Order: sequence, then C-alpha cells, then structure tokens
Amino acid sequence: MPATEKIFAVPRSDPGTIKRSELSALIDDRPGERVFRVNRRVFTDPTIFDLEMKHIFEGGWVFLGLHSQIPQPHDFFTTNIGRVPVIVTRDGGGEFRVFVNSCPHKGARICQLQQGNAKVHVCPYHSWSFDSAGRNKAIKGRAGGHYGDAFDQESHDLYALPRIGDYRGFLFGSLNADVPSLDDYLGEARRLLDLIVDQSASGLELVPGAVTFTYEANWKLQLENCSDQYHFSSVHPSYLKLLDRRAESQWMGTTRNMWDPNRRHDEAHGAATGGSYNLANGHVLNWRMPDAPDALPLYEQKDALAERVGEAKRDWMFFSRNLTIFPNVQFAENASSQLRIIRPLSVDRTEMRTFCMAPIGESAEARRLRIRQYEDFFNPSGLATPDDAVVYEACQEGYASSGSPWLQGYSRGICGKVDGGNDFSRAIGLAPEQSITGDRTLGDETIFHAYYRAWRQRLADALPEDAPVREGVA
Amino acid sequence: MNALTQADAEHLIYSEALYLDQRRWEDWLELYTEDAVYWVPAWKNESERTASPDSEISLIYYEGRSSLMDRIWRLKSGLSVASTPLRRTAHLVTNVLVGSEGDVATAAFAVHHFDPKRRTQHVFFGRYEYEFRRSERSWRIARKTTILANDQIPTVADFYLL
Repeated sequence: MPATEKIFAVPRSDPGTIKRSELSALIDDRPGERVFRVNRRVFTDPTIFDLEMKHIFEGGWVFLGLHSQIPQPHDFFTTNIGRVPVIVTRDGGGEFRVFVNSCPHKGARICQLQQGNAKVHVCPYHSWSFDSAGRNKAIKGRAGGHYGDAFDQESHDLYALPRIGDYRGFLFGSLNADVPSLDDYLGEARRLLDLIVDQSASGLELVPGAVTFTYEANWKLQLENCSDQYHFSSVHPSYLKLLDRRAESQWMGTTRNMWDPNRRHDEAHGAATGGSYNLANGHVLNWRMPDAPDALPLYEQKDALAERVGEAKRDWMFFSRNLTIFPNVQFAENASSQLRIIRPLSVDRTEMRTFCMAPIGESAEARRLRIRQYEDFFNPSGLATPDDAVVYEACQEGYASSGSPWLQGYSRGICGKVDGGNDFSRAIGLAPEQSITGDRTLGDETIFHAYYRAWRQRLADALPEDAPVREGVA
Repeated sequence: MNALTQADAEHLIYSEALYLDQRRWEDWLELYTEDAVYWVPAWKNESERTASPDSEISLIYYEGRSSLMDRIWRLKSGLSVASTPLRRTAHLVTNVLVGSEGDVATAAFAVHHFDPKRRTQHVFFGRYEYEFRRSERSWRIARKTTILANDQIPTVADFYLL
C-alpha cells in the first residue's frame, strides 16, 4: 500500500479531484459521541483550495468594504472576490455598484488604482471606456472597425455582480446569483454588526492607513485564530508582560492595559466571564469581559451610550469581541478595533488586509489611544500579530505529518456547549444556534465547529453525489 | 555649537546600522535622545503615506525611548515566537545627505534579513529621515522616520529589520 494511503479515512480520488463522500469525511463530526475532528488535509490539498475558491469565495456572499470608503458619487475602491478582481463604486446617482474589474474586450484589469474618484474608467490596453455605472461609453475606432451585427448586439458593459448588498454600511457581494438574501445570510450576525456601528450615532469609519501582510499558511489558520481564546496567553506573553511592565514603571505612554490582572474582578471560581456563540452559515462570536473597561477608547462614551443604546448593549460594546462573518471578514474589538479581510492566495499562502475601525466623532484623545493600542497589538510590526502569523506557519509545516491526520483542537467546550442562547445573548436580543460560557480558562474550541460545518456543507453541496454522504448522528 | 557635518551624520547613521546588525541593542538605544520620536508611517494608497500619527495609522509610532526599550525587552525575552530565533540582518545604508536647514539628514536603506528557522529571506527598503540633537559631546537621534517603500509585510516586521 502506498505510504499516503493510510493518511485518510477513505481512499483518495485521483489527483485533482475529490469525491463528495471523501470531502465530507475530512470533518469527523459526531455530536452524539461528542467527537469533532478535522483532517489536516483541509489545510494542505490544492484541490480543496480550488474548490474553496470556486464554491465558497466565488460562490457566495463575501465582504467587500465599508460604505464610508466610497461616500461620494463616482468614488471607488478595488478589491478581490476570491481570485476575481472587482471595482466597488458609486455611480453618478450615488448608487452602490460592483463590477468585475476586467475589460470585456481582452480581459485586462481596467482600474489600476486602490481607490479614487472617476466618472470614466478607461482600459489601459485598447482604451475601451466605461462609466461609473459600468456602461460601455466608447469603443475606440468603432466606425472603422468593420464589426459585424453579432458584435453590435452583444453587451459591451462591465460584468455587474449578480448580487450585492449593504447592511448598515457593510458592503457585500456575490459572484453567484443563487444565494439567499444578504439579510438571511448574515442572520443573527446583524445584531453583532449593530454593536460595531452603533458605537457612534454617526456610524463607523476606517482610520486612514492600510496595513497588508502575508503569511505562508492556509487561510483557515487566520479564520480559526481570531476565534481562539485558548492561544492568547501562550502566544502573546511578551505583549501581556510588556503591559504589566509599563504599568509597574508608571509608564507615561499612550496605551492602557484592559487585561490588568490587578483589577481582575472578584470572580467566583467558574463564574462566566466570557464565551462563544455559533451562528448559522458559519458566522461566530467569541467574547470576554475586560478587567479594566476604562482602558478602552470607547469608555468616554459610557453614559451617552447607555442613554442612546441602553445599558445592556453598551456593556456588550465594552466586552472584548471577535466576530467572523464567514468566510472572509473578521472584526476584532479589544484594546482597539480591527477590520481584517482574509484573501487566500494559495493553499499555503494568505494575504491579510487590515484596518483600524473607529466610531465617527470620538474625541481626539480617544482616537489617539485607539490608534496607539491598535499599532501595538494588531500591526504585523507590533507586539502581538507577528507571533500569531509565525505560529500559523508552524502549523502549516506540521500539517505535513501523515502519521496522525486528525487534529485534536476542536474538543475544548464540547461538553459545555448548549443549543440556543443564554442570558448574555438574550440581553441584546441575539439568538445563536449554540452557545457556551465559562471562566477565563474556558478557551472554547467548539466555536470552530460552525466554520467547518458551513465549510463542509458549502463544498459537499457543490460536488456530485457519489455515495451516501456521511452525516453527523444528531 | 557646531552645525551637523556630513561626517557627523554618516558616523551616526552607519553606527546605528552596525549596532542593529551586531545586536548591540543598548549601544543602539544610546544613539537616541530620551524624548526621541521613532516613526514608521503606513501608506494610505499607492503614493501617499500617513502623515499625522494621532489621527492616522502608522506601522510603528513611539514617543520616547522607553518604548524602544520595550521592543528590545521583547526580542530578548524569549517570550515572542516571532523573535525566536532572531533574524540575521545586514543594514545597507547609502545616499546620506545632510539637509541645508537644521540638523537633519536623509539616507536610503535596504535591510536584508534571513530567517534561520525557515531558511527564507527578504529585503525591506526605503528611506530614512533623521533629526539630530547635540548632547554634551555627541550627536544623538531626536527623530527618525522610516519610509518603508515595500509595505507588503511577509509575516513579520520589527524595528531591527527596518
């Protein structure tokens, strides 16, 4: 038997293909037996990566950016949906539109800039031009071009995305027309996006300055890590100890420690101070109470927020929260606020585009604190994110092991997870599919189940049925 | 008090490069004034970098030497997997030009660095802008701005790689 045969639970298909049953079997999900395991192959197989691009990133809703990035008519920014370049713009009437950034003539990328304002986009190759509503305005030398009727009858406009949506300024698009409404796709995650937007009556903005980094590992490492409370004290001790050092030396710096151990609440052992929620469609939230909410830039709005949104929602805004909208956007709010867009480049290479989010109209002092704490924690040149990215690469390297394909990192919390919500979620009208709470040692890993259940369903549904699909027993 | 000379600027800038390459962190720190500003702006788009650190994002922005001490502590702590082992560096600094107004200079840099763990390498490059201040017998760095031209960061950036 070839050495690779023993790696997998089922025999492998030919290279470049995978059967539905084979793909489904890579997620060992047996709720009744409290087993959840993920096969390393999901992080390493280029065939699976191609399926992810086609059926997840290019086959459904993905996050594009914020309304506040294109406030005026003809404003645009460029980004990607999976491997496809797109222009996100506002037409002359101010309407939000998204086009594939590729000329119908020879396919060249038309708009070369990251952002700007343009009434007309001209292809650099043969000068075909398009207005901000995507309509073809001119074909160079058309009169003398000896075109036939068939050409004249064809549309020469830019290819518009079949589905776009704007939830409270969060812009999404889908290259696949056959998707649920954006409201249905986001579902309960809308309540959690509300917690971000409602921090200011004027909404949300990105602080100028974008930071991009890459790492040599699979995109799902980033997906998981954002939701992984268990790693925090292991990967970031240098960051945590530096915050302590600064406090001890009465450091007159520009950051504060929201995890100040001296201010830890008098918690009863096991008292719930955090937890996680699994929502439909692969969206998740993990949350944790801060030790020192007054270290947060938002704290200055304590009373105003209570009045405007109510105390329950206000208190939730002070919780440290990491929200993922599957598959490509994460909102991390702790000492500062980060928007992360995940762009998979290949099975073992990922690009992260990161931005500091901020409530519009906060004080200059709060903004400064937010920015300094952001740079410290979130930048790839800071005190924490480089340690995460290096660990992703360590995982990718370790995935080469074929002796024991099943990863065990999906088990913490498995006997504590319950269906439905709890008092914390009910306080803000959130109805998750599953929830768990615990003390600081919880480090829940069942949160990842939501990712892989959505992942498996999206991919398995796209593959032709070859045999009865293995399902969980619940 | 004498104005900054070309030789003063070169000596200081090349010393900084050497100390970083030799991991002489305390000697490196000594080149900075107590209140030094250490700044690596981010980019807003293809051509504009961030200009206002209190309202825009920087890659690194520190006021005061204590923050640089924090970074050195982190490298030496053994608690940062991104810094263990340290990458090996060669700071190539050239085109040092003293400005005509004030004690300022600019230089071009290319920092080659090699990760002995993964056997990979990369080059960060761009321009340094310095403001110097004379203290007692020597010149020190009162402000350094590192304009990183290639701001697509492969996994890790740190002060000693810039």
